[in-house]
Amino acid sequence: MATTIDRMPDLAAEDWRAGLDDARLLEILHLLKLCRYFDERMEALYRQGRLPGAIYSGRGQEGTHVGVASALRKDDSLFPTHRDLSAQLTKGLDLKRVMAQFWGRIDGYTRGRDGNSHIGDWQGNRTWTVMSHLPIAYPVACGAALAYKRRGEPRVAMAICGDGSTSNGRWHEALNVSAIFQLPVVWVVNNNQFAYSTPNPLEFAVPTIAERADAYGMPGVRIDAQDVLEVYRAAHEAVERARAGGGPTLIESVSLRWRGHAGHDPAKYVPPGLLAEYMENKDPVKRFQDLLFLHSVVDEDAVRGIDERVRAEFDEGYAFAQASPFPVPEEATMGLWVEDGYWAREPSREGGNEAG
Amino acid sequence: MSAGTLEAGAAGHGAEPRGKRSDDGQATYLVAIAEALWEEMERDERVFLLGEDIGVYGGAFKVTEGFIERFGPERVMDTPIAEETIVGMALGAAMEGFRPVAEFQYADFMSSGFDEITTALARYHYRSGVPTPVVMRAPSGGGVRASSFHSTNPEPWFAHTPGLKVVTPAFPADAKGLLKSAIRDDNPVVFLEHKWIYRRIKELVPEDPDFLVPIGRAEVRREGSDVSIVTHGAMVHHALDAAEELARSGVSAEVVDLRTIQPLDTETVLASVAKTNRALVLYESHRFLGTGAEVAAVIAEEGFEHLDAPVKRLAPPNVPVPFSPTLEDAYLPQVSDIVAAVSELSAW
Repeated sequence: MATTIDRMPDLAAEDWRAGLDDARLLEILHLLKLCRYFDERMEALYRQGRLPGAIYSGRGQEGTHVGVASALRKDDSLFPTHRDLSAQLTKGLDLKRVMAQFWGRIDGYTRGRDGNSHIGDWQGNRTWTVMSHLPIAYPVACGAALAYKRRGEPRVAMAICGDGSTSNGRWHEALNVSAIFQLPVVWVVNNNQFAYSTPNPLEFAVPTIAERADAYGMPGVRIDAQDVLEVYRAAHEAVERARAGGGPTLIESVSLRWRGHAGHDPAKYVPPGLLAEYMENKDPVKRFQDLLFLHSVVDEDAVRGIDERVRAEFDEGYAFAQASPFPVPEEATMGLWVEDGYWAREPSREGGNEAG
Repeated sequence: MSAGTLEAGAAGHGAEPRGKRSDDGQATYLVAIAEALWEEMERDERVFLLGEDIGVYGGAFKVTEGFIERFGPERVMDTPIAEETIVGMALGAAMEGFRPVAEFQYADFMSSGFDEITTALARYHYRSGVPTPVVMRAPSGGGVRASSFHSTNPEPWFAHTPGLKVVTPAFPADAKGLLKSAIRDDNPVVFLEHKWIYRRIKELVPEDPDFLVPIGRAEVRREGSDVSIVTHGAMVHHALDAAEELARSGVSAEVVDLRTIQPLDTETVLASVAKTNRALVLYESHRFLGTGAEVAAVIAEEGFEHLDAPVKRLAPPNVPVPFSPTLEDAYLPQVSDIVAAVSELSAW
């Protein structure tokens, strides 16, 4: 098992840009900032009572999400969790439709059938429509990877789960099966140190999650998620190895969940000193921005421009979501079976945009 | 596909005489199922099988014996004992365009894959619009002295879960035609084979590779005028035996074979009850909230004006399937129980 956790980041290293050109580095900065801003604004709306349902903040873990998803191609598939909306946005989901989903509107990716980050866009961006029973998509990722291998396609499936999921039997089943059949799949564990309120030492009795890879017969790597490019490097290596027929890899990306499990959870179980250390010294967004400043990829104007773009995208998404109609009640019973044709046609837009 | 291929294949159960049609062309339920799988794999290369011990070993019941020689280990995929992953993997492959057929060694073990079946597979299309054509085959049912963990009838679990079709054929031809329909269906289908029927029941089964039996249609197996016995699976055969016995005492029983539990063919059931005015609902899942509970409710709710007697249910009690012959026979409805139940209804 390789690890970068205890290595001090070298901001001036020769390979600091991980093989990415300026345009891609700027896009990563944009995504990091968009995801952070989205997370903060949505939480504010939730606390104001202006957002129905639940929110699952991924704040502090953007390094993992943007880093791993940036290593995928458009036709690679991604199987994320509710915590990983930032990875879905990186994969290409449309923020407007994402926001329509949060407000239960017809333009959301699930047409109002699900809410918040229980979202996906299989037809377009090849992302799994998230389910709560984690890691429910781990076995499914095996199936997608099996399909690519069977057809000889140079494609890869990537699944993300949290540290909490690694205690579940399916996690072990999926890793084991992926190694037996040498499937082109990358297993990402977003270790944010808490499964809801349960800390790592009550989730597993080995020092790290990544070292379990040895027991399944695949490479394992533990990386520090404060460094998005370190995450990207590890993910890129794993993705390309899988694409080339080298089988699965386990990546443990370590961060801290800055907020509670969901919007209602004040997360008082997180030691304040630990939280302060991460927020002040290990902020993946700030760290990456500093890196780009250091290497003159951005200046103050460029950053201001990105910040303005992010705000405009959010405001546009919000306006789009509020204007999008609710689904009509009659559609509740449609779309269960393929043959009723509901999903093959445009849905009704007659639902109005006032909730009953 | 030529008849010759079929002979070499489904019959390529090879050394196993039980794997072949008999000389007069009759096929057991087990052979009919093997033929359906074989033909669909010949017809559509997206179809593949996965499950425990199905390849080299040929399956616990030898349904897929000879398949790996013809289709290879990629399409007859032996998996480790990992039911959640068998189902999840089938779902993922289906999302990428394959048409997987997963075999459970026994229907009892579907509970080991329950979450992937009822949460992932069943609910994916409703929320995403992505078709998930997965068939899950599983030997179900009791009466073979296999005790608590090899005799379950799990159809209520899955019929209660929106998004799964549930099929429970009683005859070889239906098993073949329904399995072929299930494999061609764009939705997930739970295909419950009944192990009591596997080698007991044989009949002439169509050889036309496009022979299909539609999912969701019941069949009247025996016409009658005095009482309707609405049933499915192995109980169909017990109902037919009971009807024969009842006929000798002048009672004319109609036997309705549901064939599919979800979607339920209420039209055929109600038409039968409208004719006979009495209904016995006979089923092998537990009496409490078993498949017949829904059928009885539909008859009471929509067929009330036709009824000359209360709807009667006959089904196992709410205990696990016991092993000892005296206990299992007490647990499962017997022909004599059916005769007695019909006689009670006729007395109204």
